[in-house]
Amino acid sequence: MQEKLSLTVLKIGEKATISAVNSEELPAKFLEIGLLPGHVIEVKHKAPFNGPIGLHIHSSNVLIALRKSEAEHIFVEK
Amino acid sequence: MKNPIIALLGNPNVGKTSLFNRITKLHQRVGNYPGITVEKREGTVNANSKTYSVIDLPGTYSLFPTSLDEAVVYDVLADKRNKYHPDLVVVVSEPNNIKRSIILYQQARELGVPAIFVINMIDEIKEKGLEIDYDRLEQYLNTKVYTTDARNGKGIQQLIQAFEERPSHYVSRFTIEEKYQSALEEAKKLFPLHTEYQTWQFLAQDHVSFLDEKQRAGLKAIKDKHAFTFHELQKTEALQRNEQTSELIKDIIFHKDNLQLSATNKIDRILLHPVWGYVIFFALLFIIFQLVFTLATPIMDWIDELFASLIDTTAAVLPEGPFSDLLTQGVLAGIGGIVIFVPQIAILFLLISMMEETGYMSRVVFLMDRWLRPYGLNGKSVIPLMSGAGCAVPAIMAARNIENTKERLITMLVTPFMTCAARLPIYIVLIALVIPNETFMGFGLQGLVLNALYILGVLAALLSAWVLSKIIKTTHKSFLIFELPAYKGPDWKNVGYNVWDKTSGFLFGAGKIILAMAVILWVLGSFGPNDKFSNAESYVTEANPTLSEDELSEEVASYRLEHSFLGYLGMGIEPFVKPLGYDWKMGIGLISSFAAREVFVGTMATVYSLGEEVDVEDEEEQQTLLSKMRSEINRNTGKPAYNLASGISLLLFYAFAMQCMSTIAIMKRETGSWKWTIMQTVMMTGLAYVVAFIAYQALK
Repeated sequence: MQEKLSLTVLKIGEKATISAVNSEELPAKFLEIGLLPGHVIEVKHKAPFNGPIGLHIHSSNVLIALRKSEAEHIFVEK
Repeated sequence: MKNPIIALLGNPNVGKTSLFNRITKLHQRVGNYPGITVEKREGTVNANSKTYSVIDLPGTYSLFPTSLDEAVVYDVLADKRNKYHPDLVVVVSEPNNIKRSIILYQQARELGVPAIFVINMIDEIKEKGLEIDYDRLEQYLNTKVYTTDARNGKGIQQLIQAFEERPSHYVSRFTIEEKYQSALEEAKKLFPLHTEYQTWQFLAQDHVSFLDEKQRAGLKAIKDKHAFTFHELQKTEALQRNEQTSELIKDIIFHKDNLQLSATNKIDRILLHPVWGYVIFFALLFIIFQLVFTLATPIMDWIDELFASLIDTTAAVLPEGPFSDLLTQGVLAGIGGIVIFVPQIAILFLLISMMEETGYMSRVVFLMDRWLRPYGLNGKSVIPLMSGAGCAVPAIMAARNIENTKERLITMLVTPFMTCAARLPIYIVLIALVIPNETFMGFGLQGLVLNALYILGVLAALLSAWVLSKIIKTTHKSFLIFELPAYKGPDWKNVGYNVWDKTSGFLFGAGKIILAMAVILWVLGSFGPNDKFSNAESYVTEANPTLSEDELSEEVASYRLEHSFLGYLGMGIEPFVKPLGYDWKMGIGLISSFAAREVFVGTMATVYSLGEEVDVEDEEEQQTLLSKMRSEINRNTGKPAYNLASGISLLLFYAFAMQCMSTIAIMKRETGSWKWTIMQTVMMTGLAYVVAFIAYQALK
């Protein structure tokens, strides 16, 4: 069975598919920039001490960064 | 007839500004949208035997704003009465992000604005591993698709010719879900003249600034009744459009390997490394400040000499009198005081725009956000704060790169707390006066105090940022999501425009306020209300008949200053500065250092009748000034004017007070409002007063 995990648990280099975005907590901008259910992402960078996370969104081929506090509201399936 | 307005609309990082620069060349200016701090870039171009007004709208992902900048985009496009409402929108995209741009294009068209579609950075298409079926894209968008490359000018002329196009009517592809239909019907009654999509947008926006109170209340009532929020509608639309476009794009754009991103990845492994990333960043900062100082100093010295000789020549040519003095000591000296900042500003912005152009600036945000967020600042605040150690003027201008309006405002408000280069001469003189030349735990005590003052500046900036972040309200929640664009070499044209834009903005924008204040201060110091000023010489000779010629002229200058308007002002503020341990002479110093902090030393020299030319770096002259100041008695207390208590109090006052009219002028220009400028001046000077008061009363 596939587990439902928060994006923040992924380690650098891990790939996963976004399963859900808690849209109560995040503005529409997160969807617009490409964090949409079904999209494959890969964690590329993490700033130390719970700093921002750098993600590669495979489908749109861009690198984006977001704060950890917001990444917690994005759920993924490995 | 009014010029047709062409608006450039697009995501961040699509090269929209490069395109704007290519289209308008130097026929452009930067201002603010009325009443808000959002930067407005506007230019003109002559083509098709017309003059077009071209506007570079702030970068945005959709018409649902998350910042003040993005709100402007919706206002301009949705409000037909808006002064900048365009006749044609040019949606700018780049090969990688066509999907997102299509969504933006659809939103604009469905709002009823004619739009054409441009794919910029077309030369990177191979490197990015893409192929595009233009015919199908044109068919889908119901418009012609143009391709440009702003870096080498490819396709720009064809695009300008296309400004005449007005694509035919557009059929909406967005279907409003069944569950929102009844709410929409009710809203339509409020806006009988608007289309269905325009009405839907009213419901989906948090706040529509151009509607009246009654209409807004009506919209709120509908949302409350049907129990949905604007967030929900925005997300519904974003999801639906994304799904549609994803399906479609498969047949139009074909992906291969993205070579650009894999190169970027390799560089990022070093530049975003948890240890090396920071080491490199701080090394880079160090180099930047070294360059700003070492490269600028010779040019600044040259400007200084140039103006000194210019003043001498003018004084020699013109007949002696108030007019000659006004021109030389007031106007020319004032202009010199503005031009002297130009090398620093130009060099700093050259380096900053190179960081932006290459894509490194987003990495700085990535690295620094964690450390500045607790204080209500943003990763990008680090550049203004560090530049503040040189001079607050270019530093405040560097805050323009911060998108979040609140974080930008806070950054600008706290940057002047950083110890700037102009405070250094004052610190040197005062520390030498009141801090004993002893060692403390093996370190020189005077040096330690100087270090403490620098640390104090940083602490004051961070703490006041924290307080301000609790006070300042924002309608946009703080969050951070941004692209880390692929690395590339800087577009030198953009760098050039940017440096010119910032430097000329300072020269002509802030310059006139600085000049006006320099002239006012000069007038105050050069005229007096009674004959004690005009006949200073006879008063002085009467009191001390035995003075030599040199001593006499110095005594006269000091007597004049005492009886000038500035002197009376100094005495006038004495009651206010007395609790801090200062006398009226220090009061004059405080007022005159408004021209620039370093003026304090010169004024002190005049007040203590040493002649104006005191070079603090010259050991002997410094000693003369110091011994004069040391022997000075405060006539209120009968104690030495510069003792430990008043000296510390003065040091703290200079550390915190907003005492630089150049900074005030640049704040007014950058915030576009006197409200924040005055608030900052009052806040800083108030804090300085309180801290200096406490220090003096405790140490007295």
